[in-house]
Amino acid sequence: MGMLVALGVRVLETMFLVGGIGSAIVLVLSGIEDIETLFGSEDSDHH
Amino acid sequence: MSSPFQPAPTASAKSNRVRIVVATSVMLTFISYWRAAAIVLNDLGSSAFYAGGIAEQAVGKAAPWFIVAVMLFSFTVRAVYVESCSMFVRGGVYRVVKEALGGTLAKISVSALMFDYILTGPISGVSAGQYIAGLINGIFLTADSHGWIPLAVHRMFHGTPQVNVNWTSVVFAVAVTLYFWWQNTKGIQESSEKALRVMQITTVMVVLLLGWSVVTLMKQGYHPVPLPTAENLKFSQEALGFLKHTDLARNLASKFAILGIMIAFGHAVLAMSGEESLAQVNRELAHPKLRNLKRAAIIIAIYSFVFTGLTSLLFVMIIPDSVRVPIYKDNLIAGLAMYLVGPQILRLLFRVFVVMVGFLILSGAVNTAIIGSNGVLNRVSEDGVLTDWFRHPHRKYGTTYRIINLVVFLQLFTILASRGNVYLLGEAYAFGVIWSFTFNSLAMLVLRFKYKGERGWKVPPNLYIGGHEIPLGLASVFMVLLSTAIVNLFTKSVATVAGVSFAAAFFLIFTVSERVNRRKFALAERQMQEHFQLLQTDTVERTGLGIRPGNLLVTVRDYNTLSHLKWALERIDTKEQDVVVMSARLSQFGAAAYDLATEQIFSDYEQRLFTRAVSVAESFGKHISLLVVPARDVWSAIVQTANNLESSAVVSGLSSKMTAQEQAFELGRAWEPMPEPKRQFVLQIVHPNMQVDTFHIGPHTPSMKTEDVHLVHRLWLNITREPGLDKLHHQDILTEALTRFARDYAGRDRDEILRELRKTAGKMVRTRLLGGDGGSASASASPSESPPGSASKKRDEGPRSPPGVSR
Repeated sequence: MGMLVALGVRVLETMFLVGGIGSAIVLVLSGIEDIETLFGSEDSDHH
Repeated sequence: MSSPFQPAPTASAKSNRVRIVVATSVMLTFISYWRAAAIVLNDLGSSAFYAGGIAEQAVGKAAPWFIVAVMLFSFTVRAVYVESCSMFVRGGVYRVVKEALGGTLAKISVSALMFDYILTGPISGVSAGQYIAGLINGIFLTADSHGWIPLAVHRMFHGTPQVNVNWTSVVFAVAVTLYFWWQNTKGIQESSEKALRVMQITTVMVVLLLGWSVVTLMKQGYHPVPLPTAENLKFSQEALGFLKHTDLARNLASKFAILGIMIAFGHAVLAMSGEESLAQVNRELAHPKLRNLKRAAIIIAIYSFVFTGLTSLLFVMIIPDSVRVPIYKDNLIAGLAMYLVGPQILRLLFRVFVVMVGFLILSGAVNTAIIGSNGVLNRVSEDGVLTDWFRHPHRKYGTTYRIINLVVFLQLFTILASRGNVYLLGEAYAFGVIWSFTFNSLAMLVLRFKYKGERGWKVPPNLYIGGHEIPLGLASVFMVLLSTAIVNLFTKSVATVAGVSFAAAFFLIFTVSERVNRRKFALAERQMQEHFQLLQTDTVERTGLGIRPGNLLVTVRDYNTLSHLKWALERIDTKEQDVVVMSARLSQFGAAAYDLATEQIFSDYEQRLFTRAVSVAESFGKHISLLVVPARDVWSAIVQTANNLESSAVVSGLSSKMTAQEQAFELGRAWEPMPEPKRQFVLQIVHPNMQVDTFHIGPHTPSMKTEDVHLVHRLWLNITREPGLDKLHHQDILTEALTRFARDYAGRDRDEILRELRKTAGKMVRTRLLGGDGGSASASASPSESPPGSASKKRDEGPRSPPGVSR
């Protein structure tokens, strides 16, 4: 039981760590886009 | 095809069924990204008033770092919401999540969202109460320290008079909730203008707070904030929830350091509550929509990072440990104000300002919570998951009062059950926040694979392998949310019990309601196929609807009050002039990220309403066209429809909550910002006794008083005697007079002109009070009673003038 709990905790910790690193990348990439959106010209809205 | 819904072009013109055109694009008054950001920040910014205190009570002095981390992470959650808003799908939040995750998870997801919305009210109300009660006690203490409290009062209270902070907060929260319950029952519209003003005042406070804090830090130095390591985390017993007394809790620093950090992160997560409001304002954003959505999202993220994130660091850096949690835990911004450098009276005044801002923003959040909950439940009802009983309109105000009553009852129960304990409310609130974010990100992740339709933007980065897209960014955000949500289940025992019970109760209601509705819908669809032919159109266009210009638009809402339709049909020859009966389907503020589907717009209620309207028309042997338009604001919907249909007149019944003048004023106000080309029209408001008030909407020749006509004529006679002016017309005199008036008004004579006009307005009011009829036929309406864009009002004492004929 104790081992199972420890395994569950490790899985959650891994998810959190991997997700955290990925989220940091999202933050940087969307941050660059944000700067373009804020300071870019109106024409660049092509969606 | 078993569905009665058809796109307009393929509709059979020979069908015996009554044609109803259902517009599917909502008629909205669009707002700038600044206003959109202000609306969201009213919700998101309010968490700065309580999130820091709750997190520190749970995890200790290192809490501010976790608040900062949550605020940074909120940038990525915001990205998920931007992607969800950029999807062009129809149906409520339930339908979209159901599409992605199936019916059961969709119902659970909506239940979590409801928990989030409902708890926003109590936590905001109680928190505002804490700031007010804290201020009262602070003033008493200051007064006592200066010897201003009389000895008798001192004796009576056995010391300095102090109010019970928690119960004062309860009383305040109950009062605010009841106030907004009544406002929402009456159907007061949410205004982006108000939100913008509140945010402007809040910004003044934030700038002052940050600036003054920097000066304080430079003069007095700072208390260091412990780094967010496992060793520095000092969890309270409540903060470990079900994990307390377990090996996990004992070994957090040595063996499960990351778990410790996750627990702390979970206790700070409510700092980003309110992020979901972004989806609500999306549809109302002006063009270019996606760009403006992103701009609003950036402003929101940066503002909330600075306000919530940085101030939580300042709490620990400036307020001494001895008072921070023991005294100021539930009103930390007020505590910060009291520990800035400067004279005590100045600090106390600033604290009063902080409390005022807190009152504004937190009370606004109470209102937003009721509106949001009402919106979500309305949408869920439209999705067929809640029976129509809940959406039954109020007899007088037309609002969905049963849903409002249910929401407010739950909020009042929560406030009383919490006994004014902000920490308890915050812990429970975090449950709704984290799970609604988790379900939303999971739905978005699944929809990446299932929904291949148009999408304006995607969360980066995305990897492509063998033609398959792997949404790395979206998956990362989901993993953080899910792992935090699971950990929260174990560490927030009260939240888990309350949240699970609440979600289970709502899940049960939704499941039973859905079963009842399924049977009812099958019957309703059969009836609809027999009687009505629904033609679906994206926007309201006259040519598309086959209606002639100069038509008459009759607005209907309540099937019990159709006397104005009878009045119009009595006077109109429908062979000469078309009559369009229009019902605006109000789309509530809240959970409005997605447009409604046709069958949601034309619901059971509209079916009953139009059945009555058709019966009335048939009793006159006349033909009417039926139209349903989804709208956020009923006035904008009417003026936009009248304009698009080139209507010459609009006929409405008298509102139960407004006078005819107020109705005309609102319509005129909605007419003003409409883009060109815009047409003028006549508004006729029919009273229950068949008395009719007529208003002109749009600029038009004002009716003139006899003495004014004589004055112009006398001036004309005198001026045409002058050499070279014998060919002058009366209108030239008016042009010259108005040009001079405009010049004087723009110049230094403005105040004098306004003084004169006020005198005139005062005289008119007195005349009416003395029995004069300010609204008699052909009399000019005073500026105060005339809507913008409309300058005159006529009262038709009898049903003489056919609508539209006054053109």
